[in-house]
Amino acid sequence: MDKYKDVSPFVIIKSDVTRRSFTYTDRALGALDKSKHQYQQRVLIGSNGGENAAVPVSLLLRDGTSIISTPSKTAKNPYVVDQIDGKLYLTDQGEIVEEVHYWYKPDYYDKFTSSGTPMWQVASARPQRLDIDPNSHCHFWNKGNGCKFCNINANSTQSEKECNMSKQLTAQDVYETVKEALKQPGAFTNLKMSSGSILSGAEIFDDEVDMYIEMLQAAGDNFKEKKFPSTIVASAFSEKQLARLYENTGLMTYTSDIEIPNEALFAWICKGKHKEVGYAEWKRRIIRAVDIFGAGNVSSGIVGGCEMAQPHGFTSEDDALKAVLEEAEDFASQGVSIVHCVWVPMHGSAFHNQQNPSLEYYVRLAKGLSDLRKKYLLNVDMDNYRKCGNHPDTDLDRGNYL
Amino acid sequence: MSILNERIQALLQNSGAAKVLATADKQGIPHIVSDPTISVNNEGKIIYLELIETSQSNVNLVNSIWFKRKVAIHLSKGEESYQIKGYPAYSVISGPVFEHYYKLSLERNPEFDLSTVWIIEPDEITDDTYAARKKKEREGHPLITHLDRLAK
Repeated sequence: MDKYKDVSPFVIIKSDVTRRSFTYTDRALGALDKSKHQYQQRVLIGSNGGENAAVPVSLLLRDGTSIISTPSKTAKNPYVVDQIDGKLYLTDQGEIVEEVHYWYKPDYYDKFTSSGTPMWQVASARPQRLDIDPNSHCHFWNKGNGCKFCNINANSTQSEKECNMSKQLTAQDVYETVKEALKQPGAFTNLKMSSGSILSGAEIFDDEVDMYIEMLQAAGDNFKEKKFPSTIVASAFSEKQLARLYENTGLMTYTSDIEIPNEALFAWICKGKHKEVGYAEWKRRIIRAVDIFGAGNVSSGIVGGCEMAQPHGFTSEDDALKAVLEEAEDFASQGVSIVHCVWVPMHGSAFHNQQNPSLEYYVRLAKGLSDLRKKYLLNVDMDNYRKCGNHPDTDLDRGNYL
Repeated sequence: MSILNERIQALLQNSGAAKVLATADKQGIPHIVSDPTISVNNEGKIIYLELIETSQSNVNLVNSIWFKRKVAIHLSKGEESYQIKGYPAYSVISGPVFEHYYKLSLERNPEFDLSTVWIIEPDEITDDTYAARKKKEREGHPLITHLDRLAK
């Protein structure tokens, strides 16, 4: 932290906790109140937890920064969350690092839809965002070409088996859950949908677009006006598909993740996407989305650090960072924010045995991406610290609003 | 244990008192806002409700919590006047505390859309009345005064 005095220490802590993971002491787990805190959550990538697991779904820092991470049993050097004098702290080698809080459970979580589905399985809640993932199955994996950092299908298959959690949601369940969630004043500022890619249709992704239209319309029926603060994290749709999506739903912003901002590595790590669409076309489609949603209302996520996966990734952090920021600048200059999450080599992904880069790499990456938005006058309200919370770089933007 | 005595806490709860929050940006340029809703919580910490996410005050408070910089609150009513300096300790954007103040804001004005509940830990208090400040000066700097004030 001494070396990066102009970077939020909360962002540095968040990045390191995510890359090294953490565990809980029994005292800290004892502080979990199942009536108040979230201990179950539907997520696309990562882990939905076991049926009886009562582990906090995530952490919040004093400044409102989210740490979106779950404990890893295989982490070699994890932080430890402990309860000391009635408060919860992140500790490292026995030293207190920062105070943390467990995420609160929204009022709708323990309710059921008319079909009997637990509402927490329909919409998960980040501190200020409703997350609805209508399809937890990615078709790229059907042909053995899933992205190597991702465990979406392994996670959803396990959740279906262990928790009876459906991989697909119904529009009626979505409508009823959003209706219930909106009864809680001040709880949410955004609605996000995401899904595994659906390749089928007359044109590739046509069925995925149809699914989003149906689900966004169901959610949108709860709002007074047609447009409402919302985003999707989806496949790279054609201009025709994007226009259809924009015109028929309340959607205001759009994300399609380029994942690895380097064509050669994209071809290796995201083999299916490269084979079916290609890096250049995936990128072109994201940039064209700016014509519909406007500059700053389109972002693209990268799995920060995955560009150093071996054996084909960069071996020098300087070289990797240079390549990533150059490509990010090309996006930014055309109205697209590049946002990064911290690559965690997850169980169930092809890269589960890999090692992520240094903390310093993530600090430089976050600052570099945030600085690019400043340079190109892009605000990222659609994907900021309170809307998503998964991007150290957009956390930095809040200290530097345009 | 809060350093705010009962009198100051009562003044902070008084909606008729003048309350001003002073912050500074990254270059040190000051920014002040007058807000009669500044209050104190049960733990003796100061509550400032930020209604505008991208306001200068909010950005300055974010940088203050990140880099441990003090903010100041001027509090006065009638003959009483205090300056309280402290550190932003929590930026609450969700959960029961946020929702409590969100509802309170709505009661004050249905148009208010609360961004952040700032919890400020007071660190030092100065009696800001002229009498108190002059007394301190006289004691510390007895050579600084106009002679006519000492004439018979």
